[in-house]
Amino acid sequence: MVGASALISIIVGVPIAIVLCLTAPGGLYPHRWINHALSGIVNAIRSIPYIILVVLLMPTTRIIVGSSIGTLAAIIPLSLAGALLVARMVEDSLRNIESDLIEVGLAMGASKRQIITKILLSEALPSITAGITTVLINLIGFSAMAGAVGGGGLGDLAIRYGYQRYDFTLMMIIVVILVILVQAIQMVGDTLSRKLSK
Amino acid sequence: MEVLKGIDLSVPKGQICGIIGRSGAGKSTLLRCLNGLETPQSGDITINNKSLLNAKSGERRKILHNIGTVFQHFNLLSRRTVLQNIALPLEFMGESADKITGKAIKMAALVGLNDKHHAYPSQLSGGQNQRVAIARALVSDVSLLLCDEFTSSLDPETSLEILALLQDLNQRLRITIVLISHDMSVVREICDQVCVIDQGQIVEMGPVESILLRPRHEITQSLVRHLFVKDLPRAISDTLHQETLLNDHVVLRLFFAHTASYQPAIADIIQKFHVPINIIVGSLGHVREVAFGSMIVTLPAHTTSQDDTIVADIITHFESHNISAEILGFIPAP
Repeated sequence: MVGASALISIIVGVPIAIVLCLTAPGGLYPHRWINHALSGIVNAIRSIPYIILVVLLMPTTRIIVGSSIGTLAAIIPLSLAGALLVARMVEDSLRNIESDLIEVGLAMGASKRQIITKILLSEALPSITAGITTVLINLIGFSAMAGAVGGGGLGDLAIRYGYQRYDFTLMMIIVVILVILVQAIQMVGDTLSRKLSK
Repeated sequence: MEVLKGIDLSVPKGQICGIIGRSGAGKSTLLRCLNGLETPQSGDITINNKSLLNAKSGERRKILHNIGTVFQHFNLLSRRTVLQNIALPLEFMGESADKITGKAIKMAALVGLNDKHHAYPSQLSGGQNQRVAIARALVSDVSLLLCDEFTSSLDPETSLEILALLQDLNQRLRITIVLISHDMSVVREICDQVCVIDQGQIVEMGPVESILLRPRHEITQSLVRHLFVKDLPRAISDTLHQETLLNDHVVLRLFFAHTASYQPAIADIIQKFHVPINIIVGSLGHVREVAFGSMIVTLPAHTTSQDDTIVADIITHFESHNISAEILGFIPAP
């Protein structure tokens, strides 16, 4: 569930980030309206608490996957929240690439597409990796709430057996597993990001 | 706001042209016009008889492939090795992988980085990074190389090395070079032609010898002076004042140009005015074949009383020898 959502988040979020970065004032394709509109939508949705977003999205989810409960249904809100998080993180990474490096490409007569792929995305890769690691960890947190719509997963287990059936031991075991999982993801992400930055 | 006005500059093929001016004079903007990063509101820029401003986007990119820029802070891509960085312009031009690698290796050899092919910029020194930047700027067989004030991010010794490299490349590859600097010593080192810019306008332009030896504009004069004038020693600058008191010594900055260096001007003045002249700091050198330089001297400001000053007479005398003299201030008699 988290894996699939993470994948969709990246596929949807990275292009949004690129558009946000390019249309920003001083970007390669400055366009005030697109930038404001997109940025506004991203901010608006990001300000909705996740559990509310799940409920709000129920009709949409039902249209897309045919049901508003279950693991498959939980992927929709999880992906949306993840994608917007990825969009902001990656946009930040791209903006941190100095404009000097973009000018290198412009002065060399590179096309805009070449500048995006060979300079912007390439230079930002370590920082994008670190951002996606953070999003992944956030998604694990969100996924616990997927239990609310019968999404299953570790969080669901903890609430149903640990909280509702007072099985304290089981809840603790799940918490420990979650801590280890998050640590592992963080470690892998950090190592990858370090390896990528030379 | 007008940043540049009425710039009319042409650089003959194969020459090294130095654009010099104080910071904020507009020299960086001029360079950014030449590599297409800024577009002037009016006027034209032509390279090899092709107009950069009137070209359509595809044609314009082709012209830009013919111009290389070395940026002030190198601007290398941190995740690419030396060879990959050098290869970047060729990748943009869509050359084949074989050709790209071969050319990059050749350029690395040309700038003396044979043993660093697979190093990353963070593993290299400033001078080595600068060499990568130069190789990258030249790799697409450019006919014009633009250098932004790069010596400011290098130590003096490395700067000299890089300047020698540029001169060598200019002679070997017959590349035209335009470099900007605020430092006359860079210009003196390698330029054929100098263009002095102030407040967005060219105030003086000409061959390096005539600019250095006979600077006409005030800005040029001050830039040339800085070539030689060292700071005053602490002992003098601490007691320096602008009001003259009895028994004070005057501190003069002398500027020698042209053949004046060979005339015994100082000995002349000692004999004529019967004053002891004390040389504080001095530096005389040569520009190509002509000697010139600068010196700071002190001498008694008065002969007998406070009103009786000989400073004006002495300055006139120096000027009759083609030596300009400037009063820096006064110090108490030692």
